[in-house]
Amino acid sequence: MTVMPREETISVGGIKVHTLIGGTGDPLLVLHGAGGNRGWRRWMAAVAERHTVYAPTHPGFGQSDAADWMQGIGDLARFYLWFLDELGLSRVHLLGHSIGGWTAAELATMHPGRLERLILVAPTGLKPAEGEILDIFYFPPEELLKYTVHDPASIPEWPELYGRPPTPDEIDIATRNREMTARLTWKPYMFNPCLSHFLPRVEAPTLVVWGRQDRIVPPICGEQYQRLLPNATLHLLDQCGHLPPLEHPDAFAELVLDFVDGPRGAAASRRV
Amino acid sequence: MKLYYFSEMPHHEYPDAEGDKYPALRLAFPNTHFSPEVAHRNYQRYLDEYEFADEAGFDGLMINEHHSTPSCVNVSVNMAAGILARTTKRAKILLLGNILPIQENPVHIAEQIAMADLISGGRVLSGFVRGVGVETWWANSNPVHNRERFEECHDLIIKCWTTPGPFRWEGQHYHFRHVNPWCLPLQKPHPPIWVPGTASPETAIWAGRMGYTYVPFLVSFEVARELFDYYRQGAAEVGRPVTDDNLGFLVCAVTADTKAKALEAGRHFVWRMGPTLRGPVEYFSPVGMRSRAASQFALKARSVPLSKMSYEELVENYYIIADTPEEVIERFARVKKELGIGHLLLEAQESRMDHPTTMRSIELMGKTVIPAVARM
Repeated sequence: MTVMPREETISVGGIKVHTLIGGTGDPLLVLHGAGGNRGWRRWMAAVAERHTVYAPTHPGFGQSDAADWMQGIGDLARFYLWFLDELGLSRVHLLGHSIGGWTAAELATMHPGRLERLILVAPTGLKPAEGEILDIFYFPPEELLKYTVHDPASIPEWPELYGRPPTPDEIDIATRNREMTARLTWKPYMFNPCLSHFLPRVEAPTLVVWGRQDRIVPPICGEQYQRLLPNATLHLLDQCGHLPPLEHPDAFAELVLDFVDGPRGAAASRRV
Repeated sequence: MKLYYFSEMPHHEYPDAEGDKYPALRLAFPNTHFSPEVAHRNYQRYLDEYEFADEAGFDGLMINEHHSTPSCVNVSVNMAAGILARTTKRAKILLLGNILPIQENPVHIAEQIAMADLISGGRVLSGFVRGVGVETWWANSNPVHNRERFEECHDLIIKCWTTPGPFRWEGQHYHFRHVNPWCLPLQKPHPPIWVPGTASPETAIWAGRMGYTYVPFLVSFEVARELFDYYRQGAAEVGRPVTDDNLGFLVCAVTADTKAKALEAGRHFVWRMGPTLRGPVEYFSPVGMRSRAASQFALKARSVPLSKMSYEELVENYYIIADTPEEVIERFARVKKELGIGHLLLEAQESRMDHPTTMRSIELMGKTVIPAVARM
């Protein structure tokens, strides 16, 4: 039977964070990307069979409270350390996608001891050695969506998520998500020049996942993360754009479970 | 009513088909189509026209600033003000204006405006604007901070002009450990402040609260009246009376010896209504730059975009006034009657409107229109 989540509101420093929690087992904190929290997705249900998945909505996004005082992704990372305190989670597996991946990387450099394993999925945060991170604010949302994935037709959850025009409430939330993303990432656009100097501090086994056809964040950034993190493996997915968890949910869930519990994770540990 | 002359100093000397290849003329149209030789001649010509407008009797000379666009190559309102401060004698110099949110050093802006005021003998009217999104991209300034930076930049400039230095400024967006400008305005306590508007109720309310002259740009009478109501709401909050002198309006206008010639010249304004405003909404209003209220007001205010109106509709609805001097007087009187304004700003040259046509229009305005408008 599919694992379903419950909704909770976690208060952190007076900010109410809308959070989906589901499954049983070691905790896995999932930090979403600029598109916001897309809800309880197929890959999460699969991972939740062996782990307790915590999927909060960032402050300023979706139904969570605003945090207009935040100035960058570093602030969001510090906020999530506090979030873990509030939940009483001393050590977690941490998975972040896109700007959530950047947040996860920043958090890991701030407090490496909080992490069991780290999974970065097409994270921003580093200046690409070649090419540029696509300026997502330069395009209308409907056009941006085309750049985001490799092949919408092959995405099982695409009709559910994007198969109809958005409602006015959904448009409002999408606008809110974009505004908060702009607040956190505008300049330097989508990267922190200091992050590369801190990444060597993160010794947790790390899996970096990238779509070979990612048109938002160049896959070369994956190589940079792998090189800078002491204990990282890079996994490239074929026929995949910037949203691996949506584009290949089953393969992605298997990848996550293998890394967190299985042989690949163990192999990565032995490399230390 | 006072009359002001304004040119955006366009650079339209390229084949339109080239511009049509790009999603927008602003930001996207490559500057390989910019000609330094043409621009040199244009600057000389445009400045000559401003000087002639001063001689012809215009009450004010309005200048503005834009970036990354052939529609306006006046890239420094303060530099233009400095030139006109020296080369003109009589008219006010209306900077409309400095784009505050994109500034990194408000103290320098305060100094530059003060210098223009000093050179001109106290003729500066200092407009402050939030800018269109294009300028935010140009400066790479975070649009979600646009209003906060506008207000803080304004506050620091005013403090530079009104509080003896040295002092320290530790704000939210601006931080200066040593503020002591050795260049202060001639006008006391400072030059009059003007603020334009197209869609933002918050800006109109703020301007009303501050008592600044407020000028809607190229909107319908109905929308202008609604914005003026917001202005009055702000003024009422602080018990400030509102007179004609607080309110202005901007239209495109040209006159000529015959109606036919004027209508032919007026067609040049269509370029600024359509092609120069064409482009993705993200260019003009990046995420977070406008509040929800302003976005909704903008949709209402531009229910029919200017680019979708025919030339005849633009003329009929007073976005463009192009007629003989006598008819122009009639139409200006109607604007005055509809809006109760004290200042009428004329975008009086545009696109490929040539020098002789522009000069003749200025001359006819001076001989016939300005004396009549002065009595309104």
